[in-house]
Amino acid sequence: MKRRDLLASTIATTAALWIGLGPTALQAQEPVSGGTLIWGHSETTQNLDMHQTGTASTSRVLQNIHDSIVTINSDMEVVPQLAESFEISDDGLTYTFHLRDGVMFHDGSTMTSEDVVYSFERLRDPETGAVNFEVFNDVDAIEAPDDMTVIIRMSRPNAPFLARVAENGAGVIIPANSGDIQGETPIGAGAFEFVRREFGNEVELARFDDYWDGPAYLDGILAREITEPTVRLTGLRTGELHFINDIPAERVAEVEADPELQVLTWAPLNFDFMNFNHDVELFQDPRVRQAFDLIVDKELLMQGALWGQGTTTPTPSFPNDASRNGDLVQRAQDIEQARALLEEAGYPPGTLDVVFKVTTNYPYHVESAQIIAEWARQAGVNMTIEQLTWADWLSQVWVDRDFEMTMMNFFTIWEPDRLYYSLYHTTGGFNYRNISDPLIDELAEAARGEVDPAARTEIYQQIQQHIFDEALDVLLWYRNGSIAAQPSVGGLDTVVHPNGSNLNFHGVWLQS
Amino acid sequence: MRKFLSTKALIGLALVLLVVGIAVLAPLFIPPERATQMVMTARLQPPSFDFLLGTDQLGRDLFARVMLGAQTSLTIAILAVGMSIVLGLPLGIISGYYGGRVDNVLMRLIDALLSFPILLLALTISAVLGPNLQNTIIAIGVAFTPFLARIVRGEALRIVQMPYVEAARSAGTRDGLMIVRHILPNVMPALIVQATISLAFAVLAEAALSFLGLGTQPPQASWGLMIQASRQFLDLAPWTALVPGTALAITILGLNLLGDVLRDVLDPRAR
Amino acid sequence: MVYIVNRLLLVVLTLFIISIVTFGITNILPGDVAMMIMGTQSNPEALEGLRESLGLNDPLIVQYGRWIGGVLTGQWGESLLFNEPIAPLISQKMLASGLIVVMTMVMALALAIPLGVWAARHRDRWQDTTSSTAALLGLSLPDFFIGIMLILLFAAYLGWLPSSGFVDPTEDFLGAVRHAFLPSLALALGLMAHLTRMTRSAMIGILNQEFIRVARAKGLPERTVVWHYALPNAIGPVMTVAGLQIGFLFGSIIVIESLFSYTGMGWLTYQALLNRDVPLIQSTVFVIAAVVMLVNLAVDLLYRVIDPRIRLG
Repeated sequence: MKRRDLLASTIATTAALWIGLGPTALQAQEPVSGGTLIWGHSETTQNLDMHQTGTASTSRVLQNIHDSIVTINSDMEVVPQLAESFEISDDGLTYTFHLRDGVMFHDGSTMTSEDVVYSFERLRDPETGAVNFEVFNDVDAIEAPDDMTVIIRMSRPNAPFLARVAENGAGVIIPANSGDIQGETPIGAGAFEFVRREFGNEVELARFDDYWDGPAYLDGILAREITEPTVRLTGLRTGELHFINDIPAERVAEVEADPELQVLTWAPLNFDFMNFNHDVELFQDPRVRQAFDLIVDKELLMQGALWGQGTTTPTPSFPNDASRNGDLVQRAQDIEQARALLEEAGYPPGTLDVVFKVTTNYPYHVESAQIIAEWARQAGVNMTIEQLTWADWLSQVWVDRDFEMTMMNFFTIWEPDRLYYSLYHTTGGFNYRNISDPLIDELAEAARGEVDPAARTEIYQQIQQHIFDEALDVLLWYRNGSIAAQPSVGGLDTVVHPNGSNLNFHGVWLQS
Repeated sequence: MRKFLSTKALIGLALVLLVVGIAVLAPLFIPPERATQMVMTARLQPPSFDFLLGTDQLGRDLFARVMLGAQTSLTIAILAVGMSIVLGLPLGIISGYYGGRVDNVLMRLIDALLSFPILLLALTISAVLGPNLQNTIIAIGVAFTPFLARIVRGEALRIVQMPYVEAARSAGTRDGLMIVRHILPNVMPALIVQATISLAFAVLAEAALSFLGLGTQPPQASWGLMIQASRQFLDLAPWTALVPGTALAITILGLNLLGDVLRDVLDPRAR
Repeated sequence: MVYIVNRLLLVVLTLFIISIVTFGITNILPGDVAMMIMGTQSNPEALEGLRESLGLNDPLIVQYGRWIGGVLTGQWGESLLFNEPIAPLISQKMLASGLIVVMTMVMALALAIPLGVWAARHRDRWQDTTSSTAALLGLSLPDFFIGIMLILLFAAYLGWLPSSGFVDPTEDFLGAVRHAFLPSLALALGLMAHLTRMTRSAMIGILNQEFIRVARAKGLPERTVVWHYALPNAIGPVMTVAGLQIGFLFGSIIVIESLFSYTGMGWLTYQALLNRDVPLIQSTVFVIAAVVMLVNLAVDLLYRVIDPRIRLG
């Protein structure tokens, strides 16, 4: 109880993350045990293996089953979870984790260093197909000197390593040799254990009584997978559901005004940006990129696509990240100047045809593309939209990089190295835009080897400035996350993880 | 019944002419940008003097969109059915005319293809090719082909057994001439009836594909797309679904009525 | 007997062609499931590892052999994306869709037969016109549009019925029927149109026959003549048309299940297609095509049993 309170209060007091909290009168009541929470979950869960799954939606459920060796607090600092404490050697080459005593897995076994070594080895084995595989690229050896200690030796310093382990999945500890069954029946050390999944319909979780941080209040969670947003909301209103995530954007204001419901919104759930393919000759000219930046009225676009449920931003850094460059201001819309820039670059009105690929996985992206295309038309650009299924978008844009313009969002990337190295370094894993900028490459490398936090911050701010000046991408906004619940649900303020995406039900209770 | 038939014919013809008229004339009177222009201050507005049929979630004029959508719908339907005729007619005639082993092989293949629901086939083809206007036409056209080939083959089989064809054959007429002179003209009535009914179904298929995101691409005005977008705002703005849905129903009703009448007139066996 | 054997051999051949077509189409789909599993978190090395462990790198003929061998021996494999065994998944979803198909049929027949009989009895009168008009309207309204209207009316406005979701009929039968009601009704209104027309024309044909005239001459009440003498003879062709509509229904459920978030076979197929889950697409598409073919076969055979005038062979 004590530890949980600590975490809960730090989340609630971080003004930067929270922008709105509905009726809070009920939060004052004393928690009670019992009851099954019926959650209207916005997405269909896929592969249940936490090491393999890369989707934020599936992780959202799995995070309640698993705990991680370390995690982050609301100030984005790495804090222990299944480890009681950790040390980093001065040369940055050795990480020592002292494991928490008496941590139980759902299969009844007690966590030892063997399980931790197994989990890390599984994560870095290419055969596993783990999404966080590359986090362990600089790891030389993983050792277990005794039952309660794990040492990771690096081949070279990697400043962001610990933060990366604290991220989604990379630090999740599973019982030794349980890898083969994780996909169907996940087993972890989290507050809830997996009961069953009726595929495409619901996932059932039950309280794990031996949870190291004290048992949860709820007897269980029934996560019903309801992908249609209006249907979720109706279910909440009719009392079929206790709790939903992702209120349809156009209804948030209306739901917030409803005295019968509790609503919580926060930013950011994710950030969104518009992208150019830098291998396409057209977009190698910074004037063209700036022109497209000038075409977009970010605030109006956000109102149009998100019905106001977001905050525009000139940089992708999390709002409460120390390395966020607060001096940047987005370019205001100026169609005339955009026309002039395009003309100067050799594309007078009516001569430029651009294809904008957008995925139906995010319907608000389809809406955004239609609005942008309309502005582009006013600037003399003929923009065609191709809406792609998620599979096609991943294949054409992400892997084959066969596109001219697109837009995308990213969840939970709060760690600056991951953000700027992966997304903007020439060899970065997320650099699907073929960006190759020598200055950014140099800065991102330098930040990786820089152990002094202040100096790293400085470097990252420089990177943000450069991305903005060159309009390498057009940053749009942080999108709000939202949850809503019946008045009978308590502890709503403990639900959202500091990464803005995961939902944690350990501190939630139901009034009888 | 004759009175009803003629009423039916009149209504059917009137509806089809109306839709064709809109498809042809709307683009002349309504500039294309009317369908994509957005007024952010007028989202999900009910019908009014400014917006005769109201606006959608992006503040676009539904009147302009539904009018321009007629062209999208009809163009795709006509080209898709045309394609299924180009592919299915020769297949059916060859199969029905030559019979025997050729017929056997072709019909086994077509029977197998007919086991795939048309919409599933079109959906899969569209997923393979990637969604855009041209591929939507191909997907619907190919999916319709087995069905059309089957009908043509049945007709050809019937005609081949007619006395005058046998007479011509014993007189030594060559196959090519025989097909052009005797088979093709006699297949025509059934083909025309089938094509008209297929048109109705193709309009529906285009709407269904667009509804599932695998057809016409936004911001182009397509009725299926409009219905798809309206889903989320049904209780807030039911007209966003009613407007394109009614347009779709009128078109399909007109084509079905016309198909019925043509069948009664042209197809002697159905009378 | 020879006919039956021939038909069964044909079935095997057709199934084989279906399997080839299914496998062929699904293998030219762009994109692969390894990417879908990893999403935007994917990187080349991890992708390659996952592809290898999923068996995506084997030659096509090997993959086909593995698949068809599995289908024949009941080893349907696992859905790649969802990491679930396919066979139980399909039987569960088939049950869900089966409920919709049966309910659609029942509703459509319950509407179509009285309407068709009514039209036939009052041929060329206003009753006939009304019935024909109703049928045409049913035929002309796209089922997903009817579905939207039903959601608007029954779920959003009146609040009588759930607008979405699926309940397992083996757990809560009434709840399952309630959830399947609106999707079934949306499909039934279109199907009704076909069946009404068929009932009408079959009834007209039979009401003109000699034995009906005799029955009437004997002074039997018209009600008895129509319902006890004529209708049983008209039911055969109506059921045939109904059976042949199964294929059409399985196409429509893709749209309707997606509209109502009803997680049946149509939903599963669409999900599989969207996610490039090739083993799952192959199995769902193959099962649907096979079911459609077998239902058609059954209808055909039944019809021959009912109506011995059709020669076998």
